[in-house]
Amino acid sequence: MARNWLTMAPDFSNPKASPFETARSMSSPVPAGAEIHDWSGDMAAVRNRRDRDSFMRIYDHFMPKVCLYLRNLGSTQAVAEELGQEAFLRLWQRADLFDPDRGSLYTWLFRIARNLHIDLVRKNPGWQQVQDELDHVAEAEDSPRYSSAEDHTEYVQLKRRIDALSTVQARLMRMSYFEAKTHQEIAVELDMPLGTVKSHLRRAFLKLQTEVRGAR
Amino acid sequence: MSPRHHLDHSTLVAYAAGSLALELAAVAASHLEACAQCRQRLHEAERIGGLLLEQQRPAQWPAERAATLRQSLLDRLDDAPAMPAPQALAAADSVAGRPDPDRLPVALRPHFGDSYSGLKWRWMAPGVHCIRAPAHRNLFLLKIGPGRSMPVHSHGGSELTQILQGAYQDSLGHFGPGDVADLDSDIQHQPVTLPGMPCICVSALDAPLRFPGWLARKLQPYVGL
Repeated sequence: MARNWLTMAPDFSNPKASPFETARSMSSPVPAGAEIHDWSGDMAAVRNRRDRDSFMRIYDHFMPKVCLYLRNLGSTQAVAEELGQEAFLRLWQRADLFDPDRGSLYTWLFRIARNLHIDLVRKNPGWQQVQDELDHVAEAEDSPRYSSAEDHTEYVQLKRRIDALSTVQARLMRMSYFEAKTHQEIAVELDMPLGTVKSHLRRAFLKLQTEVRGAR
Repeated sequence: MSPRHHLDHSTLVAYAAGSLALELAAVAASHLEACAQCRQRLHEAERIGGLLLEQQRPAQWPAERAATLRQSLLDRLDDAPAMPAPQALAAADSVAGRPDPDRLPVALRPHFGDSYSGLKWRWMAPGVHCIRAPAHRNLFLLKIGPGRSMPVHSHGGSELTQILQGAYQDSLGHFGPGDVADLDSDIQHQPVTLPGMPCICVSALDAPLRFPGWLARKLQPYVGL
């Protein structure tokens, strides 16, 4: 039976739902970080054995998140689904490039989805190639390694830091990450001087940043 | 040599978020190719994006639709062999283990071609040559002769300049190869190139430059920046 996709999924009709607000609303009752899952085992199975069950576990968990992200960037549900499928196909095809020591699966997926959006929706030729190049340069040098334990601790810390952002900082980060608004567009929309937009983002980044392990 | 002037954190956030204008992103990427420190910061900004992606709480998918998409992806896996790792362009260019000095940063190649020797410079003002990216008027290469001073100017919006060869000095300091000048609209500056060799840089603007002096104002239509 054909039913209306949008009316069945109220969240999809509200693409402005904020992950910041979500993060806030769920802060205390759930033990911080309790719901995090370590995907490195599933990814290793995909990489080494082309394991479909592991791959589909990853897909089932992340596909709705990736689609919501792409919708927030301005794609229709149909385009978001198409790009989402493409993102997971890429994950399947490039699984051997995934290195858990260099960052988590969700960071990797975020980059894949963002790159597809910039490549195919914003039509920026050469973007993907430049990102590949940056990966190569990073690989060739002694960049900091992550372990899943550090990753988990960091996830918990980062959630706390997101909660600690001021309302305006959270709003500007959301407009940057989830609406892909330029500094100029944010300045116009909020009637705020460009310099103020930048300094808010600067401070927000410093607050969220983790002063890290193996920093050179 | 490691760069001493880096991308502003707000620029890195925008780059990671995919919200930087294409012209500014091309210049930022040419710096990222040269700067390990900014690549590390970028990675951190992308982690923030990844964690925010993970924290999204989408509504339950309609079962029928989810099943259709799931099956169609499974069907496509058979025809999707592992993709070979993308080729490292800069490494492929290297001559005897060193980067080929004639090759442009990878990020600039879609706009200006592959090599410095292939660039078709246009005269813009005495001692100043310029090439605009054909499809993007606010992205351009500048070649400024040694010991030249540019007119004092500020910016309507942001200016991002990556030094590719040579060097210049202004009130903010000394800018040499690999350095980036990530300038706010409130900064007024007058770069002076150092003697010896021309300074080649790539710049992007998201609004026209502003020249305060009357002479510079007269020049502006000709300079066209």
